[in-house]
Amino acid sequence: MSLIDLIYLSQKSLRSNILRSVLTSLGIIIGVSSVITMISIGAGARLEVEQQIERFGSNNLILRSQSSNNRGVSMGSNSVNSLTLKDMEALKNELPAISAIAPRVSLSTQIIANGNNWLATVTGSTNDYFALGNWKFENGRKFQEDEINSGSRVAIIGKTVQKNLFGTDSPIDEVIRINKVPFTVIGLLDAKGGTAWADLDDTIIVPLKTAKQRLVAKKFPGDQIRSMTINVSSSELLFKTEKDIDTVMRKLHKISANGNPDFVIRNYAQFLNARQESSRVMSILLATVAGISLIVGGIGIMNIMLVTVTERTKEIGVCMSVGAKKRDVLLQFLIESLMISLIGGCLGIALGLGVIFGVSEYFNWKMSLDYMSLVLSFVFSSSIGVIFGFYPARKAASLNPIDALRYE
Amino acid sequence: MININAITKEYIMGDNKLLALNEVDVSIKEGEFVSIMGSSGSGKSTLMNIIGCLDVPTSGDYFFRNKNISNYNSNMLAELRNKDIGFIFQNFNLLPRLNALENVTLPLLYSGKNIKERTKLSMEALENVGLKDRTHHKPNQLSGGQQQRVSIARAIAGNPKLILADEPTGALDSYTSLEIMKILNDLNSNGITIILVTHEKDIAQYGSRIIKMKDGKIIEDKKNVSN
Repeated sequence: MSLIDLIYLSQKSLRSNILRSVLTSLGIIIGVSSVITMISIGAGARLEVEQQIERFGSNNLILRSQSSNNRGVSMGSNSVNSLTLKDMEALKNELPAISAIAPRVSLSTQIIANGNNWLATVTGSTNDYFALGNWKFENGRKFQEDEINSGSRVAIIGKTVQKNLFGTDSPIDEVIRINKVPFTVIGLLDAKGGTAWADLDDTIIVPLKTAKQRLVAKKFPGDQIRSMTINVSSSELLFKTEKDIDTVMRKLHKISANGNPDFVIRNYAQFLNARQESSRVMSILLATVAGISLIVGGIGIMNIMLVTVTERTKEIGVCMSVGAKKRDVLLQFLIESLMISLIGGCLGIALGLGVIFGVSEYFNWKMSLDYMSLVLSFVFSSSIGVIFGFYPARKAASLNPIDALRYE
Repeated sequence: MININAITKEYIMGDNKLLALNEVDVSIKEGEFVSIMGSSGSGKSTLMNIIGCLDVPTSGDYFFRNKNISNYNSNMLAELRNKDIGFIFQNFNLLPRLNALENVTLPLLYSGKNIKERTKLSMEALENVGLKDRTHHKPNQLSGGQQQRVSIARAIAGNPKLILADEPTGALDSYTSLEIMKILNDLNSNGITIILVTHEKDIAQYGSRIIKMKDGKIIEDKKNVSN
């Protein structure tokens, strides 16, 4: 008997009891949709982490000043600029694991150019800022040595600033007024896109010295700075270096080991790890659900197939009387259970895609559909069908023709 | 065609041994129309099931077309049933989900014939029993006589040498029974050996030879002269 004929006969008997077939495959449906969702969450988390690294650069620590609890009065996060360029030099000298540090001063201010008006965050820093932050240039150039040293009024702007001040026109060599001070635009950064909390492209970068002299002289007097981005030479040293920085900074600022520090170290890796951890927990949960429901689904198939074999005992006898061999009967019932589990697989894939779509839409979780997971689902569900369908099918095939025929 | 030597069939029911066939000897030649009669429990159905290779004897030898099939395995017996034997049952035993044509095609499916050949043979068989216009009806859309004719078509579709009919008119009214017996008669005149099991005297009269059974033994075996 050819495979097509077997499939034809199997679908006939499955279709004669559609509700039962679908209910039987429920376990497989839930199992497969969990598998797909699980894999997508995992892949999505990985993708998000990769994108974050792409955006913020890898192996970076952010050190920024923080108000210390001064005589019980919290001064607010922006009120004190405890970090200085001296701290930066000291860290560089003391910790060889640090490969580069980009200092930063910043303010939010009015930008005027081309008759347009825009509020943007202006950062004063060095060329390291671009390398560490993974910034790419769409057009123009970085600061030149003499511009950095002389405090030239040059600026590099982000995509959002360009769009709001110049539209699609090139901003290079145009003059913009930052806090009424004219600057010449020398570079345009590539777009990075937004995060949940900020538009990264809404930025203007000017040389540190220029910023300190002309824009934030009052806010950051002397060699005070707002924060620094510290690049560690390798990811293995990241957490150790974070501790070392803490130690060195406490020594520099004369803060005891258990005193309140006037700085805070932010570690993106920590955030990424937490993100990965939560998706890992979610994946384990789903894997458990998937595993249990696939097994329960398989047992459900076995149960229904046993009932079917009993119900159709006489029919099996008829088939044997007209010449069905054991193998024909075995294959027919195996294909029926395989088809039930494949129906479950297909519906499970549909449900899984729905869940993925829904979750990524409503919770704003990044989910990445892995086509391997579709293949995996098919392999999973069909092997469940064959494994759990085998016993009932063998039971059918081993019936004695005359006993089966006489069965009422 | 059929040579049965000292065939015994025992059933064990709890502590009791039931002797359904007790050292039965019988031979049937090609082209014969044999009626086997007897009350229920006489062993006539058991004999027919063994002849039809649906059941195996406890002891004794069975030669089918000069081959000793007593030691055939289940696959070889299945092939024999498929190629050489057609069954007609009292309750028709059609598959309810398949239409008339598909039911008739079933044995041809198992013999692995291609779809063109299958359809041709099945249509011919249905035509022979006068059901050419009912090919796509399901069994429950057909009358009892029509269902029995479909099952006859199924039995003859593979061109078997032997047809075994177990009370073929048992579930039919007398007029329809007549129709069915006429078809069997026609098949016999075309050279097909027919073994008919019945307990009705007038149905048995269609046979050219009548075998009477009682308590697992043949008590009478003679030519039917009234035919």
